Amino acid sequence: MTFPERLVNDAELVTRARRADEAAWETLTRAYAEAAFRLAYLILGDPDDADDVAQEAFIRAYRALNQFDLARPFRPWLLSIVANLARNRLRSAGRYLAALQRAARADPEAHVGAPADSAAAEAREVWQAVKRLGQTDSEIIYLRYFLDMSEADTAQTLGVAPGTVKSRTHRALERLRSVVANDFPTLREGWGRGTRP
Amino acid sequence: MSELSLEQIESRLRASAAALPYPPTPDVAGAVRSRLAPSRRPTRMATRVTWATVIALATLAVLLTVPQVRAGLLEVLQVGAIRIFLVPPTATPTATLPPLTPGATRLPTGTSPPTATQLPALLDMAGETTLAGAQSLAGFTIRLPSYPTGLGPPDRVFVQEMGGALVVLVWLDPDHPERVRLSLHEFGPDSYAGEKFEPKVIAQSTVHSQPAVWTEGPYLMQLRSGDMDIRRLIEGHVLIWQEYGITLRVETDASLEEAVKIAESVR
Repeated sequence: MTFPERLVNDAELVTRARRADEAAWETLTRAYAEAAFRLAYLILGDPDDADDVAQEAFIRAYRALNQFDLARPFRPWLLSIVANLARNRLRSAGRYLAALQRAARADPEAHVGAPADSAAAEAREVWQAVKRLGQTDSEIIYLRYFLDMSEADTAQTLGVAPGTVKSRTHRALERLRSVVANDFPTLREGWGRGTRP
Repeated sequence: MSELSLEQIESRLRASAAALPYPPTPDVAGAVRSRLAPSRRPTRMATRVTWATVIALATLAVLLTVPQVRAGLLEVLQVGAIRIFLVPPTATPTATLPPLTPGATRLPTGTSPPTATQLPALLDMAGETTLAGAQSLAGFTIRLPSYPTGLGPPDRVFVQEMGGALVVLVWLDPDHPERVRLSLHEFGPDSYAGEKFEPKVIAQSTVHSQPAVWTEGPYLMQLRSGDMDIRRLIEGHVLIWQEYGITLRVETDASLEEAVKIAESVR
């Protein structure tokens, strides 16, 4: 009797999934469903849209498994599909969504309901501030800070060089600082406490 | 406001990102499975397994229409701290489930489980200790198998906090010490339920005349307790039963007959 189990990594699961091993694919989808849903939700701001995009991303990933480079991590590859689909959905939503986004900017709390506690309220306000940065800057902040991805994985997700991630992150943080200082007085006060004069 | 440094902005961002109240993650995996099902082109082996599963589920569906049978079957599918899903959890109401056995905790249904990014191997588990150390932590008497002959004490011992203690005993293959020959999980009376998702083969058996369940991999096993979420891809075969007030789980690549011999040697 030997070997009832061993370490299974993403590359092996992908290899098995390519051979129609449903358990392997199920394992991958369960492992990364939350990250896919959350990235879509951060970009789109709507849980139903985020669910649709996350599902579609897994469907497309499954059908493109033969194109996946086994030497690379699976998560950034999947999330690059999620980000593309979410961007497309934003664009296709057209003027109606643009109007909603303008309304949200006028009243950042309008879409998110009453905050449960001060940390959650601040988190929502930060999210609203990040949304003001525009697609390129906001996505890099979502990946680096909200999904806690490394520079290398962020680079793979966005299809850019790691050095580009570093410079874009720097630029996004500077812009965020400016947006908070100008348009989010409550956040500005909260963040300002305890800083040097 | 004094101007924040970029490092301070980063720090505040990380704190806020961690506090953002996301909506519950929907059952993306279940929806994806349903959407992919018609387009998959299974291999001949997969076709055989699929037909076996269809037959098993159809039989189960018929049996479940008979109330007394339903109670008996579902009782077998919940063995001590282990719950086995023939299909993944969905939003379907679970009011027909019988009460859990003492010490087991019903897991929330209709929500997708928390996700993890890797499937740790058994030997990578945290909480490694000695047999004596495990005994001092377990809160119940750790039982050991005496079969196969000459098995001896376990090579590796782990204790995990799963509401109550979960003790994992591992015997390694003498010729391939990186490989597991046999493992025995012992779930204490207060342990949380473990879950198995879609084992390919499931059968009823007995250990010392007590009901036991036999499953064959590969399938996903998940152990959850609070924020902890341990997942392993099980490729071997597993026999689960209750005895001595605890839930026992033997994992091996042996046949059912052999696994029952091992189980009945546990004292």
